[in-house]
Amino acid sequence: MQRLRRSWERHWYAWAMVGPVVVVIAVLVLYPLLYGLFLSFTDANEANVAKNIGANHIPATFHLVGLHNYWQVLSGADGHFYPRLVWTIVWTVGCVAFTYGIGVGLAVLLNRPIRGKIFYRLALILPWAVPNFIGVYAWRLMLNGQYGVFNRIIGLVGIPGQAWLDGETAQKVAVIIVNVWLGVPFMVVALLGGLQSIPAELHEAGEMDGASPWQRFRSITLPSLRPVSSTVILLGTIWTFNMFNVIYLLLGQNTTGSTDILVTYGYNLVFNGVANYSMGSTYGIVVLLILLGFSIFYGRRQLKEEQL
Amino acid sequence: MRRALIAAATLSALALTATACGSSGSGAGSTAAKNPGQVSGTITYWDTSDAKNEAPAYKALIKQFEAKYPKIKVQYQNVAFASVEAKFKSAAQSGKGAPDVVRTDVGLISEYASLGYAQKLDGTAALSDKGDFAPGAWGTTQYKGATYGIPQVTDTLGLLYNKALFKKAGIAKPPTTWDAFIADAKQLKARAGVDGTYLNPDPYFMLPFLFGEGADLADPAKKQITVNSPAAVKAATTAKKVADEASAKIDFANSYNNMQAMFKTGKVGMVIQGPWSTADDYSGSAFTDKANLGIAPVPAGSTGKGQAPTGGHDLVVYAGSKHLDASYLFTKFMTSSASEAFIAEKNGTLPGRTSAYTPTVLKQPSIAGFQAVLPTARARVALPQVGSLFTPLGQDYTKILQGQESPQAGLDHSAAEFKKLLPSDFTIAK
Amino acid sequence: MTARKRSRNSRGPGASAALHLTLAVASLCAVFPVLWLLYLSFGPSGAWASPGQVLSHGTLGNYADVLFRSDFPKWFLNTVIIAGGTTAVGVFLAATTGYAVSRMRFPGRRPLMWSFLITQMFPMIVLIVPLYRLMTDLGLLDSFPGMILVYSTISVPFCAWMLKGYFDTIPVSLDEAGQMDGLTPFGTFYRIVLPLARPGLAVTAFFNFMTAWAEVAYASQFLSADHFTLAVGIGTFAEAQRPDWALMTAAAVIITIPAAVVYLLVQRHMVSGLVAGGTKS
Repeated sequence: MQRLRRSWERHWYAWAMVGPVVVVIAVLVLYPLLYGLFLSFTDANEANVAKNIGANHIPATFHLVGLHNYWQVLSGADGHFYPRLVWTIVWTVGCVAFTYGIGVGLAVLLNRPIRGKIFYRLALILPWAVPNFIGVYAWRLMLNGQYGVFNRIIGLVGIPGQAWLDGETAQKVAVIIVNVWLGVPFMVVALLGGLQSIPAELHEAGEMDGASPWQRFRSITLPSLRPVSSTVILLGTIWTFNMFNVIYLLLGQNTTGSTDILVTYGYNLVFNGVANYSMGSTYGIVVLLILLGFSIFYGRRQLKEEQL
Repeated sequence: MRRALIAAATLSALALTATACGSSGSGAGSTAAKNPGQVSGTITYWDTSDAKNEAPAYKALIKQFEAKYPKIKVQYQNVAFASVEAKFKSAAQSGKGAPDVVRTDVGLISEYASLGYAQKLDGTAALSDKGDFAPGAWGTTQYKGATYGIPQVTDTLGLLYNKALFKKAGIAKPPTTWDAFIADAKQLKARAGVDGTYLNPDPYFMLPFLFGEGADLADPAKKQITVNSPAAVKAATTAKKVADEASAKIDFANSYNNMQAMFKTGKVGMVIQGPWSTADDYSGSAFTDKANLGIAPVPAGSTGKGQAPTGGHDLVVYAGSKHLDASYLFTKFMTSSASEAFIAEKNGTLPGRTSAYTPTVLKQPSIAGFQAVLPTARARVALPQVGSLFTPLGQDYTKILQGQESPQAGLDHSAAEFKKLLPSDFTIAK
Repeated sequence: MTARKRSRNSRGPGASAALHLTLAVASLCAVFPVLWLLYLSFGPSGAWASPGQVLSHGTLGNYADVLFRSDFPKWFLNTVIIAGGTTAVGVFLAATTGYAVSRMRFPGRRPLMWSFLITQMFPMIVLIVPLYRLMTDLGLLDSFPGMILVYSTISVPFCAWMLKGYFDTIPVSLDEAGQMDGLTPFGTFYRIVLPLARPGLAVTAFFNFMTAWAEVAYASQFLSADHFTLAVGIGTFAEAQRPDWALMTAAAVIITIPAAVVYLLVQRHMVSGLVAGGTKS
């Protein structure tokens, strides 16, 4: 009791400051999340959950099924999880690697003294200001195999029109390109901030030692960027893993399903026909566990105590 | 099995409570039937029509309704067609924020009915002169022998063709079988220099192929999954043949838009399409003369009978509505012969009532053309899960059309997926 | 200083050209899709299929349709209220939390930071129906405060994390000086730290604004027609089967403009604000 009071006296400022956030997050995120966790142990679907239809209350009739749903998913019995997981990982790694690589490249170039820097910076960051569903629609129009502007442009130089959005491989490449387009501005801004904080003396010292630009990039720039990089890579991974809009909106409904990532697959479970809440939640929890595992592993290796 | 039992139990519980409740009364002896002028209240109506081109006509009708029933106020809300299902289901389930009447795609009726969201309309004021509805449209409203919606607009798929291109290719009349369809497509390519068709890879557009072979997704009466029956495999094989031999290259992500763009500018000779698309066709360079657009029934498969699914929109009354009487009256008004004729005149859609095909309405060539096609329409299989079935079917259909899977393998896979989605007492027919 | 300048500027003309070329190509890739939408939005309804029509039949009709033949003013106002509210609430919540976590070692600090990360990991979209019921029970359904809070839960965790990093770069000695002058921790935060953190706050504001400005999934579920936002409202300009590209492109441009304006206002702070946290080693 005594200790509790002392603790309160010492920390009430801090608790008061984080209090509003804790309440909002607990009510609107953690509570539904725990409810989702509960659903994942049941066979709940739209036909058997409780309903309030006007004055009529219909009680729930679903049952606890233990780990049945998880077994269905993880044993591969549902036939979808592992194919979706493999593609989700390819998609995430592909998107994050390209976004980060291009981001570093452009940030380094933008960090040099150059005429028209403001113009380049505005242009490169512009996609960030466009709501992402609109950006995706723009790409869908441009990649149209019959009427898209890309085929018109390459047609001008005599290359026959390509089917950008047909077939599994083409579709997968297309969704990654679009997601990279959406993601690069954030990376550029973040990494530019990181670059500007590298003391110029480091580069000067490197030059005095006769290091080539590439050597200086590898031995000075990249290591100095590490704290920024590890943060943006972690966030990029989490966001990309759950990036829903790009795949859903770019490819539309007529796909083979092989371009679905775990999240879009889970979405279909909940939004097509009679909703399957239990499996949808199970997929959600599995995604959470995968990302949590990754973050802990990655956090141990990359993030300093300072940042978390 | 257990799941089916639970569903049945829920349903009967629902039926009990539904008849017991009704704050403003329900059933034939209620105010709505006896003394409609006394019914009062404010009801919410969710419309899903195109906000720019179609909604004004519906708003005008609502004005008329409010003039006729001054004690009833209607709150009109336009909800995007793409999001209405999810939105309505969330609201209907929680009892808050749901509309009293919602315009519903006919494919959703059995789902809403089975989940208890839709009010049973037999014997209420909402349903009048039911013999007047086109049989296909009426069929969409039925679930387990009861009525859960009133047809407002109906449609089906037909064969739309470009008469000038047909003439140029020397084709006298539209094909009536898929074989003739493919032959004509080749002739169009050879003599008119255009692609025969643009196959829409959406699974909904696969239904004419299935129906033409006498196949369907499932047989609810026998509790069988029939999507991989020999007849269905034959249908998918035909579809694949059409894609390979008769169609322009399909852009799967943009198929609908590209199909329309090519057809209305005279770059393909024929498409399988619904009446909703004709307004767009007439805006294209190929159909500035409306008479150039030919409308025929969909081609037939080996059964010799071309059939297409019934589409369109029914009005559904929310089972939890606090103003059932007013909702019934509103539904009745919006689906009266005069109202449906009014909508048809303004929007060019097909009325659900046969008496609404007045001479003025039939002056529109697309309505006249599709009226002749309507007898080939039939309702989709009335299963609550039908919406979920289209997801795996669409994916396998895409694989079949892209040549990644044979028709047999693809449909076998669909059947296995259906098995997971349907009640456990369904078996795969062999 | 001068030596450094010369050495870093001593780029050959070839290298300079290559640098400009690379940046120009990258800039083109970045802006082209946006410009293409802008271009198509001035065309007739078939312009997406034959872009030449924009030049021959250019029109402002799409804009007229969107602006004057819809509930656009209402949608716009709703969106401004929701996005503005989310910005205000989100910045406030992120700043207080970020500051507390940056300056104070209190029990629950690490779990808090982890739970922020976790909220980003779970795809909430699969729980939209339970969330709907929760909103109903809390009386937040179909209301501006409800949407503002929901959007805040999306944006605040990241923003708090980011601002924490920014506050870390502001020397603690300033806080201490403030407390010597008799300021409470709240006072120190409000009078000393916040003014210094403007760049970080600007980025936070932008991020919150963008989260709410064009969100569709939650808004289309939780709002009724009177409270529709722009992004939901333009969804009604679609036939059952397909979007009307002409209206969609015009609406897209209209939605993008305010976002771009906000972006221009804060972009000067963007670079310094975003990742200051990472710079403290």
